[in-house]
Amino acid sequence: MVSTMPGLNAITKIFIMMLCGCLVILLDSPLSLFTCFLFSLSLIAVSSPTLKQIRLLLLFLLFTTWGLLYSQAIFYNEFPRTILFTLVPSNFPVLGELTGGISVYREGIFHGVVQSLRFNTTLVIGCYIIWTTQSRELLVALMKLRIPGTLAFMVTTALRFIPVIVEETAAVIRSQRLRGFRYIRLNIFASINGIINSFRPILAGIIRQATHLGESVESRGFSTESTSERTQIKASKMRSMDYCIVTVFCLCLFAIIGLKLIYFCYANGIYYASWLRHAYTFTREIL
Amino acid sequence: MVPIQIENLFFTYPSRNDPTLNGINVDISAGDFVLLTGPTGCGKTTLLRTINGLIPHSSAGTLSGSVTVDNQNVTTQPISRTCKQVGFLFQNPEYQLFCTTIEDEIAFGLENIGVSADTISDRITLALEQVGLKGSENRLITELSSGEKQRVALASILSMSPKVLLLDEPTSHLDPKATHSILGIVEYLNTELGVTVVFATHSVKEVEHLCNRVCLMQKGQISLDLPRSSAFQDTKPFLSLGVEIPVSNSQKENGDTDKARSTTLGNQLLNLKDICYRYPESKKDAVKRMNLHISEGEIIAIMGANGSGKTTLLNLMGGLLQPTRVPTEGEVSIVGRDSKKLKLKHLAGTVGIVFQNPDLLLQAATVKDEIAFGPKNLRITKKDVQNTVEDAIDSFLLTELADDAPHSLSRGQRQRTALAAASSLKPKILLLDEPTSGQDLQNLHRLMDELFQGGQQEKRTLVFATHHQELAEKYADRILLLKDGEMIFDGKPATAFSDKTLLRDASLAF
Repeated sequence: MVSTMPGLNAITKIFIMMLCGCLVILLDSPLSLFTCFLFSLSLIAVSSPTLKQIRLLLLFLLFTTWGLLYSQAIFYNEFPRTILFTLVPSNFPVLGELTGGISVYREGIFHGVVQSLRFNTTLVIGCYIIWTTQSRELLVALMKLRIPGTLAFMVTTALRFIPVIVEETAAVIRSQRLRGFRYIRLNIFASINGIINSFRPILAGIIRQATHLGESVESRGFSTESTSERTQIKASKMRSMDYCIVTVFCLCLFAIIGLKLIYFCYANGIYYASWLRHAYTFTREIL
Repeated sequence: MVPIQIENLFFTYPSRNDPTLNGINVDISAGDFVLLTGPTGCGKTTLLRTINGLIPHSSAGTLSGSVTVDNQNVTTQPISRTCKQVGFLFQNPEYQLFCTTIEDEIAFGLENIGVSADTISDRITLALEQVGLKGSENRLITELSSGEKQRVALASILSMSPKVLLLDEPTSHLDPKATHSILGIVEYLNTELGVTVVFATHSVKEVEHLCNRVCLMQKGQISLDLPRSSAFQDTKPFLSLGVEIPVSNSQKENGDTDKARSTTLGNQLLNLKDICYRYPESKKDAVKRMNLHISEGEIIAIMGANGSGKTTLLNLMGGLLQPTRVPTEGEVSIVGRDSKKLKLKHLAGTVGIVFQNPDLLLQAATVKDEIAFGPKNLRITKKDVQNTVEDAIDSFLLTELADDAPHSLSRGQRQRTALAAASSLKPKILLLDEPTSGQDLQNLHRLMDELFQGGQQEKRTLVFATHHQELAEKYADRILLLKDGEMIFDGKPATAFSDKTLLRDASLAF
């Protein structure tokens, strides 16, 4: 999937992620957020993902959605809130008295849905970028966007090492178990200590490998300080498609910011114009 | 013309008190092929890193003296300029490739130094031709074997037309066939194109016939610098440092490689019945229909090309992987128990494994704690843990390093620590994946002797995967040769190593 798809420029992809990141913060309604989420999924769909990538993405989405829904449904603190059902009544011995009761709130679930749509949209676009962009394209794109070279290289190598980290973590866990270590045990401190220790070889390995990779690219003339001399065999120039997409996204973002501002002025009694009433309705109902 | 001139070079890493390079003075002429050898930690890699400018530009430390390449002082000019003259091939092909396709990888360096797009295409074609990968521009790096990856790494350097090529143990992760291929390319570059080569290695035998000059390093100094014709006339300086010497000399000096042990085998410990293994997403089996019986006290070497299934087989033997059900319902039985029904924690004390990358085993704050980790988990008495730790520290020559952090040690020392940690559980079966990588001859034989003797005393079964034929011949009493996941030979080392066709088939000869 990475190399073969003739797709968007890496800079466009980074712009899409940044603009979508802003959009999902600005938007509040589940409908508009769901539209953003569908858009992010469509990016993945057109990039012909492998079965493994689909499985991985579904797993990510499942965990984040479940985590956010669960936490928001129970720990929602705003008012008004409507109890859907109670898990632990307030008069339940010890736990109920300590917590004041644990309930699942309708508004909490709603808030969880909104938050998970926000989070999942950026997560999916992040996966799209990682899976469809070569390390070197991403590195050059980040540097062209004036991200400091060292930071750009760190981000790129971090993404490159994700599969290595997964593989090495599994090997470390297996070797610890083969040496008689049990991750789940009665002594919680020993368990935590063991888990922390497991990070040591993984971290040391990543640092070592990243250092080797850094030295390898430096030895081939890569410098984090300047890209002025750099040429490109496949000049990844922004094509008209890239400009169109970035323009559409920018327009959408500015339009939404404008509408939100207009609505804010109306809602706070700062400014009202009757010819803007459709805009007020659209902002309230859709955005 | 003198392409490389090093004068009074001293370098000390920030964490060390003693200099790693301790007064190096050397001139290397255009077209020289220098074999740079010496024991682990003598400063070979550090010296190479100063020649291409990684030291001091990319590495902290104190440097004094000068390094000039073609009259340019590389300690003051940026690496981006030095790299046009000096190419550096690293040890592990996995850690030096950055891009997704071969074409992009080779183009990367050329793009960095501002070569025009048209020239880049021509240079990619030429470089791929030079390393024997013509027409592979669009192949994915992830689909390449280790040998092919190293050839791509070499092509990416060659495309930049360096006058000097530095190689840091470039064949230590490769099987003999891939090694032969890389050495052939380096020889061509040196003899036909006049590239000056500095080749750092422990494998003197492999490279000796290519070089015209031999430099022996010891404690940060070049203790011997002679033309090849006279370098090995006196082998004492090499042997005293545990450095490998060429075949003709080694037969004279070190001819006794017979196993000094009587093979008395005990009960069967491992039974592999009709096992297959296929990695998820892979289209072919990594291990195919393998049947194997291993007894108590056996010492077995698994050999074969990179990707032939050695590591997978070791993992299956250790219960770290379970055989796949398709096409056969295979079974691995460890000490009479089906591995599918065993949890890894139940195998502690029965099976020990040291991965090719020993770092994955090292999780404690000190070497002492690392060795104690396993025995403590098995809940043996404090006194016994202490005795076990002391024995292991002593046996694996780690006394001076007992309180050091394992990850701060050299690769050879880390490997010794990992072996000591795995051995401290006194496992009945000890599995070692490429214990030879990164070790000098002295360390290697010391380690193997220790494992060999320890194994004999405790009737331990030792199974190791290796490319090192001499090691297998010396220590193993049984050889398994693998090819594309299939076992093509199971028998005595003498039989295997006398059959050239078989060795060629297993990529151990060419």
